[in-house]
Amino acid sequence: MTTTKRLLLVLTVVLCIAPLGFPQTPAAPAAAPPAVAPAPTPKPITDADLANAPVPAADARAKGDPDGSLTGTAGDVTVTDAKKGITIGDLANQVGQNKIAINFVWTLVTGFLVMFMQAGFAIVETGLCRAKNANHTMMMNFMVYGVGMLAYWLIGFAIQMGGVGAVANLGGTPPLSAEYAITLFGKSFGLWGQNGLFLVHKGTYDVGVMVLFLFQMVFMDTALTIVTGAAAERWKYAAFVVSSFLMGAFTYPLFANWAWGGGWLANLGVNFGLGKGYSDFAGSGVVHAVGGVTALALSMMLGPRIGKYTREGKSNAILAHDIVIVLTGCFILAFGWFGFNPGSTLGASGNGGFRIGSIAVNTMLAGMAGSFGAMLYMWLRYGKPDASMSGNGLLAGLVAITAPSGFVNPVGSVIIGVIAGVLVCISVEFVDRVLKVDDPVGAISVHGTNGLWGVISVGLFADGKSNYGGSWNGVTGSVTGLFYGDNGGQLVAQLIGVVTLLGFVFSLSFVFNLLIDWFVGQRVSAKSELQGLDLPEMGALGYPEFELKTPS
Amino acid sequence: MIILIGLLVTLLGFVISVLSLTLASSVGGRLVLVLLGIAVSLFGIMGLLNKHYLKNAIWKKG
Repeated sequence: MTTTKRLLLVLTVVLCIAPLGFPQTPAAPAAAPPAVAPAPTPKPITDADLANAPVPAADARAKGDPDGSLTGTAGDVTVTDAKKGITIGDLANQVGQNKIAINFVWTLVTGFLVMFMQAGFAIVETGLCRAKNANHTMMMNFMVYGVGMLAYWLIGFAIQMGGVGAVANLGGTPPLSAEYAITLFGKSFGLWGQNGLFLVHKGTYDVGVMVLFLFQMVFMDTALTIVTGAAAERWKYAAFVVSSFLMGAFTYPLFANWAWGGGWLANLGVNFGLGKGYSDFAGSGVVHAVGGVTALALSMMLGPRIGKYTREGKSNAILAHDIVIVLTGCFILAFGWFGFNPGSTLGASGNGGFRIGSIAVNTMLAGMAGSFGAMLYMWLRYGKPDASMSGNGLLAGLVAITAPSGFVNPVGSVIIGVIAGVLVCISVEFVDRVLKVDDPVGAISVHGTNGLWGVISVGLFADGKSNYGGSWNGVTGSVTGLFYGDNGGQLVAQLIGVVTLLGFVFSLSFVFNLLIDWFVGQRVSAKSELQGLDLPEMGALGYPEFELKTPS
Repeated sequence: MIILIGLLVTLLGFVISVLSLTLASSVGGRLVLVLLGIAVSLFGIMGLLNKHYLKNAIWKKG
């Protein structure tokens, strides 16, 4: 082992162990404040007080307000009766409206950030593929947005959220109140929602429902776009359209209902005493592992690209055509993840709203810890810090922290991220060399393996201090993992989520794609594949001025 | 046929885990059954389904 390798090894070990030297001991109680005279009992505000509240005169406002001191006063409160003027009722309504407005804006803006992640996925995947497939890969990433959205609007959202009940941060969303459930082992097992078809069914043409739809829709599209990377360079475009539609309409919404829409996984705590039930804050399981296991099912079915393996089964590296856009895409994704995780509070005002700061920091820490872990692993193993794997390490850390981001502290986040960074490298090698499943962009490992790791990590690292209004999934108390005193019930709930993804979601995805294979055909012809899919499938080259070489 | 068996085994892992909710009442008992379910599902995916597809892999055809 060279000196450089030894130094890197020592550095890795120190960085992994160092956080353990800072146990999360409770802070010492603060010194008692000096005795002060009791504050006078506050006098209740009356309508008369409000009527006398200072309002800037019209002529003063007419001169402009350069320092902002005249804007946003009692004069801006909406009154129900102009003759009576402002009342306590008007004031209370305004406070409630402000809370919901803050939450609407927060949820919408973070949803817009998540939507922009589609651009990141598009260029990461296209950059990791060969130039002769650039148009085809970009088009899949571009159209998955529209195809998935239509499917989700038609039926997916209703299945996922049609029975979620009250989403207090968004004003209650009362129309989403019908969950279809069966009784099993004497308990209610919620299976799918029933309200919300086309966003007009059963009163769902509602302002709060619209905000929830937008946010959940962009999450669903993230899951769909994961699959396009694993199946790139050999997937028939028509099959992609049908497959994405089915995933957006059924596969994704079903699991999302079980985890987030009031379904049976979320109720494992209430019904069976397993911690707070399956807890997946922003979707390591719901979004990423659903995409990852679907990617695995499809990649197995499609088979590897021509030239990926020798006749003896030895793996050949097929190089990325543009590492510059790959890493740029990773940065776009990391930026979008600040919408993905903190936005999952569905509000910045109300129960748990102030956790957005720690969720954002956890996201940042785990992402960079992931890229650091992957870089060091590759450096030690192969002698060079691999660029594409460093990028995948960043994404792996982000994927892994997605489920626990709302429940863990910064030390836990870094540990989760480092493990994810190393895990993605090992998983890529395993998928490539042992399973011999061709995954051009590493989607199965980034999103599947690390999605599952993220789900499990909640059951280990949740520190029991998140306190979203005092309960989670209807169980009193904060989500707590094994390392912070839980009896293992939370871990079991998380593992049931894992096996649901592996056993049920994988199987459902497999059956859908098998049917597509029979009726449409999944794989392009060998001739098209060798030529590159841009012309045969899309009718135009991604880079028409390039002279592209085909393997002899 | 192998595909069908592979799918059924993969699903069986899920079923075992759901049954753990009623077959065991202790956390430890449920944990063991759920881990068994994960192992069964992984066997179905990697040991049966993937193996079936590898038999006819494109790179073996020369």
